[in-house]
Amino acid sequence: MAILTPNRLVPLAAFILAWVATYMAIQMGKQGKIKIRRIPGLDAIEEIVGRSVEMGRPVFDIIGMGVFTDIYATQTIAGLSILSYVSTLCARLGAKLYAPQASVDVLPVAAEIVSESYRMEGKLEELDVEEQLPYLSGTQFAWASGIIGMAARLRPAGNIMIGPFWAESMMFAETFDRIGAMQIGGTARMYQIPFFAALCDYVLIGEEMFAAGAYVSGDPQQIGSIAAQDWYKLAALALGILGALLATAGVTIIGDLLRM
Amino acid sequence: MDYRRDIPLAITFLVGIIAVLDYYTTLEAVTNTFTVIKNWGVVLQAFALGLGAVNLFRVHGKRVSERTREDWMFSGWLLLMLVLFVVVGLGTGQYDASTSYQWIYNSLYLPLGATMYSSLAFYMAYGSYKVLRARNFEAALLFITAVLVIIGNTPIFPATFPVFFNIREWIFGPIVSGAYRGIRIGVGIGAVVLGIKTLVGLETGYLGRR
Repeated sequence: MAILTPNRLVPLAAFILAWVATYMAIQMGKQGKIKIRRIPGLDAIEEIVGRSVEMGRPVFDIIGMGVFTDIYATQTIAGLSILSYVSTLCARLGAKLYAPQASVDVLPVAAEIVSESYRMEGKLEELDVEEQLPYLSGTQFAWASGIIGMAARLRPAGNIMIGPFWAESMMFAETFDRIGAMQIGGTARMYQIPFFAALCDYVLIGEEMFAAGAYVSGDPQQIGSIAAQDWYKLAALALGILGALLATAGVTIIGDLLRM
Repeated sequence: MDYRRDIPLAITFLVGIIAVLDYYTTLEAVTNTFTVIKNWGVVLQAFALGLGAVNLFRVHGKRVSERTREDWMFSGWLLLMLVLFVVVGLGTGQYDASTSYQWIYNSLYLPLGATMYSSLAFYMAYGSYKVLRARNFEAALLFITAVLVIIGNTPIFPATFPVFFNIREWIFGPIVSGAYRGIRIGVGIGAVVLGIKTLVGLETGYLGRR
């Protein structure tokens, strides 16, 4: 009996290569050899929190409806990394943070992250977890209407939406735009990216959101790991072009190889 | 040793490695172990659901008891509905299959959900209006493309002039599919790298600032 699952040999090799590339990129990052481009959407987070402080209005950080056990878990983790950063900034600068929750398994983790940020800044007494991180609902439109209602009442100056989003993305983006909030949207859900692009001030497209945690950390080691994504993307691009050229010439070796 | 940081990282690594092995190998011991872990996950989620209900009761119960906010009656309504659904679901012994439960679900929840969903049309109209103002060259290109797609999607135009259907197909094919695939590849790679970083304990944002 074969130990490896049939048709997953190439994905396994790709996974191991990604692991090696990430390790190499981290080592290069440690040595300060890696420079990455600025991501305006992530640079603007501080601006949003500062704006909220000046206007005396709250900041919303919405991490979507994802859970830890579905295929969108990585987006949820990216959203939580940003929540950690946003809550730290809010605690430090004195902006009131609201992060309404939709997933019961993510709720305690989010609450712990925000509490930890306020604790580290010595401002735990300024945080009311139940009020600022309310569990609204696990169903899509009940959650969406809850957030729309909160936004209309609290009129936040900024809104950061990073995580997995579905049809509610348009409702959020439009509602916060109407009340004059500065917005950052980021999701890897393909159909929602155009909605964010239409109404948000800054958009994180595709893999940018996965780099967010490392980017805002400022840690050279973590920033190095972002380079692995770019190396891998270049390899995919080269493979795609080569495959297209060979397929045009009637050679299907790349396609056959990827199906192994 | 910072146990609040190291223990979650060790659990993440162990469970992550088992999940990866389960996907790539056919080892029975790994499959059985991962099945047990997945069952634990289901149990934990059930407990977390209880936590969500407790959170709702605490937050909204406080609002109802204080009555200082203008919207306290909505909190009361929410708690009433929460209790009603649980009582009807458990009381009949048939849970969500009971006629009474289905009646309140179909009469109360479903129309509200449908209303919210249908309101998307207005949100989209607002979004379209905002984005389709030809203020610069790129926006003008987007506007022209959108108009061509709308014409191609409206039956009367392709029926009269088939070229509109071909234009729409061309936009959706080489242009949109090409761009989407580029983004999809980036998303896939980003997710894999983030997964690896989480496994090896480099990505700790989900643990807070530790």
